[in-house]
Order: sequence, then C-alpha cells, then structure tokens
Amino acid sequence: MDAINVRELSKSYKDVKAVKGISFDVHEGEFFAFLGENGAGKSTTINILSTILSKTSGDVKVFGHELGKDDNEIRALTGIVFQNSVLDDKLSVRENLYTRGSYYGFGKKETDRRLSGIRESFELDEIWNRRYEKLSGGQRRRVDIARALIHSPKILFLDEPTTGLDPKSRRIVWDHIDHLRKEKKLTIFLTTHYMEETAEADNVVIMDKGMVIANGSPSELKNRYSSSKLVWYTHRSQDAEALLGNMPHTYESDHYNISFKDSITEFLYANRNVITDYEVIKGSMDDVFLNLTGREMSV
Amino acid sequence: MKQFMGLTKRNLLVFFKDKQSVVFSLLTSIIVFVLYLLFLKGTFIDAFDSVLDTNEYLKTVIKEDDIEAFVNMMLLVGMLGSALITVPFNCLTTVVRDKENKVDYDISATPVARWQIVLSYFVSAALSSCIMTGILLTAGLIISSLQGGFYLDAADIAFAYLVVIIGSISSTALFMTFMLFFKTSQASGAFFGMLSAASGFVIGAYIPLSQFSEGVRSFCNLFPATHITIMLRNALMNGALERMDSSLGGMDGGVFAESIRESFTFSPYMFGNDLVISSSMIYVLAIAFISCLMMIAIYSGNYKK
Repeated sequence: MDAINVRELSKSYKDVKAVKGISFDVHEGEFFAFLGENGAGKSTTINILSTILSKTSGDVKVFGHELGKDDNEIRALTGIVFQNSVLDDKLSVRENLYTRGSYYGFGKKETDRRLSGIRESFELDEIWNRRYEKLSGGQRRRVDIARALIHSPKILFLDEPTTGLDPKSRRIVWDHIDHLRKEKKLTIFLTTHYMEETAEADNVVIMDKGMVIANGSPSELKNRYSSSKLVWYTHRSQDAEALLGNMPHTYESDHYNISFKDSITEFLYANRNVITDYEVIKGSMDDVFLNLTGREMSV
Repeated sequence: MKQFMGLTKRNLLVFFKDKQSVVFSLLTSIIVFVLYLLFLKGTFIDAFDSVLDTNEYLKTVIKEDDIEAFVNMMLLVGMLGSALITVPFNCLTTVVRDKENKVDYDISATPVARWQIVLSYFVSAALSSCIMTGILLTAGLIISSLQGGFYLDAADIAFAYLVVIIGSISSTALFMTFMLFFKTSQASGAFFGMLSAASGFVIGAYIPLSQFSEGVRSFCNLFPATHITIMLRNALMNGALERMDSSLGGMDGGVFAESIRESFTFSPYMFGNDLVISSSMIYVLAIAFISCLMMIAIYSGNYKK
C-alpha cells in the first residue's frame, strides 16, 4: 500500500515558488529520503505533508486520506521531528512529553502507556526529570523523536534530524531510527543534505530549486548519474597511455584516475598482469548530485 | 477539552517555570514599590499636609494613621495597576517565542483545533495575570490589616478582586491584538521595556493624573488600564477616605473628601469631563469586547499558512 501519493504539488509565497509541481510516491514501510540543499523545498514539502502548511495546488494523499479534507486523520498518522528542537527549554522531559500527549487528547495514564516502550528503547528514564535545556544535543534528539512517536504514527517525518550533532550523537540517533524502521516497520521520510544518510534508503528523491530532478534507489541513481573510478598506481608512461587509449582519464602525481560507465571488472581482468596496484571507487551520491546540478552540494 | 487544557497548562508552565520572566513581569510594580519607599510616600503625605495646613481644625481631626493607611493603599493600587499591564504582556510573549522557534508548527501538526491554540494563549495569559495580581492584592490586604488602619468592607474587597479579573481579561485581549506584529522575542522585549517605563505614568502610579494637563489626562484615559486603576482606587482607598470624612462629622459638607478624591484621581476623565466610575467599567468591557473581535479576525487562519 502507498503511504503517500503526491501529484503536481506546488507551494507559493507571494512571488516566490518554493515547490514547483512535484510528484512522487512513498510506499508503506519504506525508508524514503529527500535530498537537496538548504532552500530546495524539502522542509516546505514535509510541512505540507504533515498539514502544517497549506498547499497552493496539487493532490496529496496520506494512506488514502486527502490532504486539505482529512487533515485530522493525517495528523493522527504522521509524526514529525523538526530541524530545530521545538520542545520547551524550561520544562522537564516528563512535562514536555505529557503536555504533547495532551495535544492528542491523551491523559497522563494514556501517555505513560504509550511511552512505556519508547522510554526504554530511547533510554529516557535517566533524563526523565531533567530540564530539556540541560540535555546534550543527542539526548535532545532522542526526546524529540520520542515526542514524534507519542501518538504511534505510521509515518515518521525527519527533517534533517542530525544537523548540528557531533558524529557520536549522529550515530546514536541513526541507531534509533534504524530500530524504528526495522523493528517497528515505520515508514521513514527523511530530508537531509548529508549524502551518506541516504545510502540505506529504499528510494531517494533529489530536489533542486523546488523541483524533483531525480528519483530512484541509491544504486539506480548512482548507475544513472555517476561513474565508478579506477585509481591505478603507476608511473606515467607511453605504454600506460596506450593501454588507456580513448578511455577518459587523468594523471595525478603517482596515479591515473580512469572513469568507467560500464563494468570495471572486465577491464581489470583483461589487464591483470599490468594493473597490479589499484583501487576501485564506486560512484557516490555526491557525484550524482554534482552531475545532476552541475555544482557541489552546499549546506 | 483535554487538548485545550493541555495547551493552557503548557503555556502556564512555560511562564511560571521561567523565574526570571516572572520577576520581570512585575518590574514596574517593583519600581513603584521602591520609589514609594524612597520618596513617593513622602510626596503623597505632603499633598495631604498641604490641604491640612490650610485648616487647623482639619489637622487636629484627621489622624496620621488614616493618612498612612490611605497612601499605603495608593501604593497597592499602583502596584496592581501596573502588574495588570506587564504580567499579561509578558505571558503573551510566549506567542512570539513560539512563532520564532516554530513551536507553533509542532502544535499545528497535532489534531488540536486552531481556535483552541489561540484561546489557550488568551486564557493562560489572563489566568497568569489573575494569579499574580490576585496574590499581590491578597498580600497587600493582609499586610495592611496587620498594620492596622484597615477600612475595607467585604463589598470593597470583592469589587477589588472583580476588577483584578476584569483587568486581567481586558489587558490580555488588548495585547493579543498586536502580539503577532512582533516577529522576534527581541522586538517584544524592547516593547516590554517601553511599556514598563510608561505604564506607571499612564495609570498615575507615580504622580496622580490630576497633576497633568487636560490633554495628557484625556490621553491617559484612553488606556483601559487607567480605568482599571481608577476602579481599584475606588475599591481600595475609599474606605480610608470615608473614615477621614466621618472624623470630620460632616462639618465641611464633604469638601475635604471631595478635594482628596480629585487630587488622587478617583474619577475617569474623558471628553473634557469627570465621569462616574460605572463609565470606566463600561469602557473597559467595550474595549475588551472589540479586542476579542479583532483577535478573532487577526488570528483566524494564522496557524495555517
């Protein structure tokens, strides 16, 4: 079943078109990633899908519920972790989560019941009575995710959840997200400008200037929009140049960089006696973005 | 209902958990208190003495304790009047902070109805104001009764609490109409500074409005807070004044009490005339009603862009 269907979605602010007629589908249980620079329209799209912003035009369905008509049903099915923390600094983790639970009509007992599993898996007990402002970046993110899960949504929107976190905290946050995805079978909708975070996604949509410029699994995108590279460590010589012939290549200090669109294996096997010191570098999502937009990703 | 209660509770917690904010919300009241200790009390007593000096008989009949009770109530009224402006405003800065930090996005992503969001800000600010000024009034009355010279009856006290409730609601309604114009908490903070500085003068906490020109008096009377303060003055200071008046035994035909009422501004002044106290109540309620209508117009649709 499709979790989300988006058709020709647009959002304008006066003269500025933030989202320009984008279309895509997200399947239930999928890890879906939205990749793009700041200002590409990722957060605007996520905010429309979670009913915070209204759309200018287009059709959106969340588990069959129509955006604009069945907003309350959609709100019950979606949870969102915002780019910046939106919990109250002066309140404790407990107070923050109880008040947020009340927004869904839950009393203290119901919130406790719903949080029982989350408290354990997100290790919230040790920080339960601590003020939110006293928490580290990683702890805050854990509480933010717990808050987004308080009403047991079927889709979790993560709007650049690891921005500003140190590598260790990023790893911890990703471990929790992986757990939700694999164990709880939650549909994860991620926006990010970190290429590596999309590596495990089932489907990646690349946005640029409010438009979808590519869509597919990471391997499909890499195959389509990047090339693998063979780094051959050898002296520059006429023999080597003759071997490489018309293949696109460059020489840098002690090695050749050779770009491959097709399989490297055949070429390596055919020249196994000559090419002995080498490494193969697979095309990356950075290359995909660079080839699609003609520029490096800026954040 | 649970959702609305939850939102309101959250707004109250956000305000009361920030101790600094609570203290700052009473900044003008604290200034009034400090100035009273430094010189205001002396100034008010001098104003009395200047009247008493004109008549030796008055000087012997009017007791110093009664004058002291009167000016002490003047302090309490000044503190309450200014708190009824600064507390609701400070509590309402949560609206600005929530917009600035996108906390409103978090609320908008839940099934909470949009009108509940707006109403919860209104109710929590009005409640905060009622709680803070209610505590201030209660403490003032207890201290005053412990000091002796407590000349209020149950009706006066009940009226004072009623004015505190109406004042809290009307100030909150008025401030709600323009809180959304502040895009940052820095801007609302700067406005709060100006409000704190000006409010004491506008309501006549430092200098009775009767000392100002007609134009200034008329301008100050445009603000509902001035009318609230005048109502509080009538509720809390009349008792001591009537006590002084009864000490005279009607010998002056009430001229002394009337001159004190005029000097300390017991009546609202609008359109070039002194009006009766009920007109203040009508004015405050009318402004609150208009503010509520404006609030509905301004906030409707604001939580979905």
